[in-house]
Amino acid sequence: MSARARLLLALGAVAALALPLVLPSNYAVNVAVMILFSAFLGQAWNIAGGFAGQTSFGHVVFFGTGAYASTILHATWGWNPWLAWPMAALAGGAVGLGIGALAFRAGLRGSYFALVTLAFAEVFRILANSAEFTRGGLGILIKADARAANFQFRDPAWFYYVALALVAASLAIAWWLRRSRFGAQLAAIRENEDAARALGIDVLRAKTLCMGISGAMAGAGGTFYAQKYLYIDPTIAFGVEKSVEMLLVSMIGGAGTVFGPLVGAVALGFVGEATRALTSAQGLGLVVYGIILVAIVARLPDGLIGLFARRAARRGGRDA
Amino acid sequence: MLTTKGPIASRRRVLAGGAALAGALGAPAISGAQARPVRIGLLHPVTGFVAYSGAQGRLGGQMAIDEINAAGGIRSMGGARLEAVLGDTQAKVEVGVAEVEKMNEAGVAAIVGCFQSAVVLATTQAAAKYGIPYAVDVGASDLITTRGLKNVFRLKPGFGKCVDEAIKALDGINGGAGKVAKSAVIVHESSEFGTGTAKLLADRLPGINIEVREVIKHDNPTRNFDNVALRIRSLRPDVLMMSNYQNEYVLLARTLHQQRVDLAGMFSVLGGGFNYKFAKDLPDVAEHMMDYNHWFAPTNPKAQAMKKKVEATGTLFTFEVYLAYNAVKLIADALERAGSADKEKLTAALASSTWADHFMPYGPTRFVDGQNQGGEAAALQVLKGDIEVVYPAQFASAKAVFPKPKFG
Repeated sequence: MSARARLLLALGAVAALALPLVLPSNYAVNVAVMILFSAFLGQAWNIAGGFAGQTSFGHVVFFGTGAYASTILHATWGWNPWLAWPMAALAGGAVGLGIGALAFRAGLRGSYFALVTLAFAEVFRILANSAEFTRGGLGILIKADARAANFQFRDPAWFYYVALALVAASLAIAWWLRRSRFGAQLAAIRENEDAARALGIDVLRAKTLCMGISGAMAGAGGTFYAQKYLYIDPTIAFGVEKSVEMLLVSMIGGAGTVFGPLVGAVALGFVGEATRALTSAQGLGLVVYGIILVAIVARLPDGLIGLFARRAARRGGRDA
Repeated sequence: MLTTKGPIASRRRVLAGGAALAGALGAPAISGAQARPVRIGLLHPVTGFVAYSGAQGRLGGQMAIDEINAAGGIRSMGGARLEAVLGDTQAKVEVGVAEVEKMNEAGVAAIVGCFQSAVVLATTQAAAKYGIPYAVDVGASDLITTRGLKNVFRLKPGFGKCVDEAIKALDGINGGAGKVAKSAVIVHESSEFGTGTAKLLADRLPGINIEVREVIKHDNPTRNFDNVALRIRSLRPDVLMMSNYQNEYVLLARTLHQQRVDLAGMFSVLGGGFNYKFAKDLPDVAEHMMDYNHWFAPTNPKAQAMKKKVEATGTLFTFEVYLAYNAVKLIADALERAGSADKEKLTAALASSTWADHFMPYGPTRFVDGQNQGGEAAALQVLKGDIEVVYPAQFASAKAVFPKPKFG
């Protein structure tokens, strides 16, 4: 990493830490929390979909598994939510490993794999809707008891810092993937799976492990959501909308890049808020939001990070 | 010194006298003109899969605010006007909670909302963080008022009471027809509202000698009920019990009509689609369908006047409109008695409310843990294209037609 990049990163970290102190309202802090949370979930998707090229349409299955795991442990069995949190990550990771092993062993790739993940998410939603221990469609309510020891905060700034820590951890994982042998194996698989196998890479193992890491991250995100909103039901936990959101922030920001999901989440967050603030007419904000999304996807196939990289390259060319 | 002081003292006296005079003459007018408006958050899903219901709720809330302002505002607060702060949950928990944060920043004194039980559960907790009183207009889950939140008030009954009363109504109507209904199938939407209602129905129906042959769950949205209709036909129940949101309610009813599934009756509990729009748009389908739902007292002149007013705008007088309307009026009454928009005082005023100036068949309000104890729904039936109250007898405007005529 160059000295300039290190300086930029340090400045970004200081700005992120100071942000709740300068934001004008709790609403703005809440928006920042949602952007960071979206970036974190996007990074979870990016590990599998971006770095390893295993595009998933059903990543919400890991999010929902994590959300249910910690919520059942906390609300039903009385566990402290901080202790239940790692269990959620483990549950998400286990489901990731399981789905990965089943799908990759069956040789599913590309759109087939994407559809299978969607099917798994739907199966989990139906199971959660039917099972007694998930309370079916009634959902599970976490009792409001705003204490830090209870992973509930009266001041949204604390949720911001937890979300920021999650994003920092996810960036570290993505950065490690960029530089590690394992990350290089995933990149090789993404570019040409058969060639990667011919080079001696254990493709099944690498892809399955990657799904496990990605699932664990999304599972941890499920706990964060449940503790922030204190209620989950099968549609919230396993609805297709979250899968689309994870995929979208990565694609908009730049799939397979370290900062892509963060950039995508910030961009989408701003566009979402701006369209909501600019238009009071019923539904018009959503229409404008959709048009902007289509425009970004159409004009920037490699995401915003790709745009920045092209500009930097052009500037570099001129400078030279 | 004196000469210097004299004129100054004199000028001060003149200024002080002038100020006092201006205060005495002008203050009431100034304070009347400057009474700070009281902001009320109207939180509804005006986009998303329940957008129609959300827009109806928003309309009801705004109508109440306009009416209160036209009548001089909150008198005990110097004629303070009410000001709506509009919020759209988009039928999503996260967005609903974000809107509550926004409303808190906007300084709302209270919130009215917000249709779906799941979103109500989350947004009431978000409002509780700031102690904002929250009047639930629509949102049927019993959990809403059993969590010990002091800021939550619901004028209408929850689904627990509605199911109990609906079972009584069905038993009464069935008894009057010689107990023709002996079996039922329950079809419900899969969220908190439909699942909770269906569970209670499945528990209670055997108590009135109606066997439950199957409980069928469907998602939101569901765009095809052909298989569900075929399943119902094969099970041959006497009665179909339904608990769904607007679109699915209408689609299921239409599919059953198209497939000519003969039933003695179709009886919904808090049927999201049972309203004037349904009766008007699909009169053949809607005819003889029954629902146990929130309804205005049909004999109350205020209700009839408001119905006319709403219909004059080309809008239908659905339950979302008058429940939101009455929820805002409930808050206005509390503001009047509290004489302040202070959240604690307003919460206390709501908790001790004995408000009777509504047009629901409830009597004066009495809140226990935020739930109005007098809240009662009514059994309704579409008869000759209109919606009639058929139970309880004291509010009934027509006699129930049960069993309904078979397809010819």
